[in-house]
Amino acid sequence: MNGTTLPSQETHFGEADWQKQDLPRAIRPHRSHPLRTLSFLTLIVVLASLLGIGSAYVMIEREQPLNAVTIGSWRAYPKAGTAEADPYSVAIYTRGAVVPLASGEGLALVAREDRSGHLLDPTCIYRISGQTPTARLWTMTATDGDGHLVETRPGRVHLDSQNLLRNPDGSFEINAASEPHSGNWLPLAASANASDGMRFVLRLYDAPVTTGAALDGITLPVIERLGCP
Amino acid sequence: MTLSPRFSITLAVFSVLFLATIVHILVVMGIPLNVQHSAYDNIATYGPDREFNLLPDVRPQQEALPDLDPAMKHATCRFQLADGPVLFDASIPTSFWSIGLFNSAGEAVYSLNNRTAGAERLSMLVLTPAQLSILRENPPENLEDLIVIETADISGFALLRAHVPHPSRANALDQALLSATCGTIG
Repeated sequence: MNGTTLPSQETHFGEADWQKQDLPRAIRPHRSHPLRTLSFLTLIVVLASLLGIGSAYVMIEREQPLNAVTIGSWRAYPKAGTAEADPYSVAIYTRGAVVPLASGEGLALVAREDRSGHLLDPTCIYRISGQTPTARLWTMTATDGDGHLVETRPGRVHLDSQNLLRNPDGSFEINAASEPHSGNWLPLAASANASDGMRFVLRLYDAPVTTGAALDGITLPVIERLGCP
Repeated sequence: MTLSPRFSITLAVFSVLFLATIVHILVVMGIPLNVQHSAYDNIATYGPDREFNLLPDVRPQQEALPDLDPAMKHATCRFQLADGPVLFDASIPTSFWSIGLFNSAGEAVYSLNNRTAGAERLSMLVLTPAQLSILRENPPENLEDLIVIETADISGFALLRAHVPHPSRANALDQALLSATCGTIG
């Protein structure tokens, strides 16, 4: 579509600024310059490809599908891994060969930030407190920024609701740190850098909230940063 | 005819954006068609098809599949319905287990857990609509007790998850998952 119009612009650019022109531009004789036209069109195609591939790469690498449900620090993707998933989550999940939790099994919620919006850091100490939605079982896992498990001091990388100390009202407090803590201790990476990033994954099994519609207004634990070295 | 430089630049910018959008869409839509290792392919490395294969425990640097829960033990079974209907049968002594059926693209087809199964024992039959109509003509005795799933997806896999409440239960659960069957009816 640009083939006929752009060459004139190119030649014009090169010459009009310093050469005095007697004729108004509209009726000036037009000479095309094939090499310049070709390089201009090539530039457009190359720029477009870079922009298109780059933006797709960024969207996929962020691993944050479009149809997320956000509650506090937590995000869930109830439609991921179903036929109704958006193209981004289809690409993310098939590229990672991820087998999602299906709706009849449970729901995974992922946190990448604490309550004040800071990215989670595996060298810090966090308190995760509050309540979870009704579920027959839930587990809490700490992974690195890419979702991989990391070596911890006790070798354990998760906590589950069946082995949890609770307050009389049913609420709980979890201390997430690399060094041992009393109470409910969720071990973090034994040797980690702040740049590794971190995610908390809360998996609710057999929970009524597995469909996205039921996710509005549920209470989830709050993640607070207690201190960093 | 000659265009003003400003118009040409604007046109060029718009054509870059337009082409970039097309490239972006093509890349995103093309990724699922060009993945080297889908979950369906990866599962084949853990054992033969039409058989539950125990996945190694979920530990750091040894995750069989991404995003599995370290609190669970997993077993998978890959199947092709062209080889006949698949009967899943398992009895897992734990307070929570679940099974998800996925097609070869990794999309969930059906899922249930031990509460929604309605029985302690998992008995589930997966077949195509054509196979179901053949089966109806000469139904097996226990058809009433089975959860029957009709699917048009010819190939797929099942992922069975069993919660390990305490490490001391790990061996018993390994045995239960190893004796789970994923085979032919009758």
